[in-house]
Amino acid sequence: MTDAQIFETVKQNVLKVLPDLRPGDVTTEGTLTDLGANSVDRADVVTMSMEDLGLTVPVSEFQEVHDIRSLVDLLARHA
Amino acid sequence: MNVGIEALNVYCGLAQIPVPALFEGRGLDAERLGNLMMRNRSVGLPFEDPVTNAVNAARPIADDDRIEILITSTESGLDYSKSVASYAHEYLGLPKSCRVVEVKQACYAATAAVQLAAAYVASGVSPGAKALVIATDVALVDERAAYAEPAMGAGAAAVLISDRPRILDLDLGAFGNHSYETMDSARPEPTFDIADSDRSLFAYLDCLTNCLAGYQAKVDNADFATTFDYLAMHTPFAGMVKAAHRKLMRESGGGTASVEEDFERRMLPSLAYPSRVGNLCSGSVYLALASLIDHAALDGAARVGLYSYGSGCSSEFFSGLVDEESARTLAAMRIGDQLDGRCELGFDEYAALLPATLTCLVPERDREVDVGAYEHLLGRARFDRDLLVNTGTKDYHRTYEWLAR
Repeated sequence: MTDAQIFETVKQNVLKVLPDLRPGDVTTEGTLTDLGANSVDRADVVTMSMEDLGLTVPVSEFQEVHDIRSLVDLLARHA
Repeated sequence: MNVGIEALNVYCGLAQIPVPALFEGRGLDAERLGNLMMRNRSVGLPFEDPVTNAVNAARPIADDDRIEILITSTESGLDYSKSVASYAHEYLGLPKSCRVVEVKQACYAATAAVQLAAAYVASGVSPGAKALVIATDVALVDERAAYAEPAMGAGAAAVLISDRPRILDLDLGAFGNHSYETMDSARPEPTFDIADSDRSLFAYLDCLTNCLAGYQAKVDNADFATTFDYLAMHTPFAGMVKAAHRKLMRESGGGTASVEEDFERRMLPSLAYPSRVGNLCSGSVYLALASLIDHAALDGAARVGLYSYGSGCSSEFFSGLVDEESARTLAAMRIGDQLDGRCELGFDEYAALLPATLTCLVPERDREVDVGAYEHLLGRARFDRDLLVNTGTKDYHRTYEWLAR
């Protein structure tokens, strides 16, 4: 699984959770908070992405996630 | 033998502030109100503490000489050694033959106590025995808590466990647990909480999935979408419970109904009181259960799935049956009227109370609390029975009086 595939999965889930966004709004440089995601939305994006990718990442590791790139990196390490 | 909750009552204080007024007073982003799904939060007054909340919740259900065990569950302890239960035992007038103990595991401990008490009753070692479990807390939040401030409630829930389960007939043996160490929230000092909201949210959701898997390992064919007619969960704020429901519906394949319709039918009745009180901490899931019983149109037996989560963390998914008798029994407590009777505070009144309420757990050798100084608020609250109030401490011994209705 490539980083690009993981990013695409995260992006599709961001768009599902925040349907008002345009696809171009979601980039690896941005944060979920900047895109308007609250804590519940962020949890939804993460859990939906883990399910789509068939991954289980320990909850404690999400503490290091501060933007979409670090989320993709974390998921990639467990892929 | 049927075992479960014979009686249930809650006490959610004498005052409340509308959440929009709190948002405005703190300059919080009003767009986030929708996510919280909160209308009011209960506010403790300076003469209220974990003991008064416990006694005021339990008194209407504690006149029973078969109570052999009193357990208080609190994350608002008053002393390293002496329990809140020791005071509650005195002011509830419980038998001297009673076991008295306090338990702690953040918002989960009351459910551990309920399950242990139910197993004790079911064991038959003391036929006809009853156990009184009281989950009691105070809030220690101000502007430092940001968006957690409007979500925190204050008060207590009291649960009487016996072999006459008029409120909730527990499905004995049907449960799933999940626990591990994490620092998602804690109360390291008696004047403030620390909370990592993202970590706590993930742990809550993670535990729910694992607890349900544990439940399903014990109960053949149990399914989140179809086994439970209603759901009542620990409610840090109603919007979080909605996210949990959405996650489990996704994981279970969703059933036939839409997620939103399912949420409104099975979960919304349990959120009416929590959205008027805030997070009752240790008693939260029992406030949700009371809300469900008072707001669902119960017609015949209905199975309730209950989820209890406590930071730190430990959690449990379990279930039981409610019916029309549950509704009749609980209606006598008039919980909705109690909530209606709270005095509505303006933001400035609320902010003026905080310095005193935030220090109610701080040990002081001698302290006097002047209940009369709050007459102007008491006069605006409606309550129909005598209430216990804290009047201070003397040589570290907390002192209490009854406030006449």
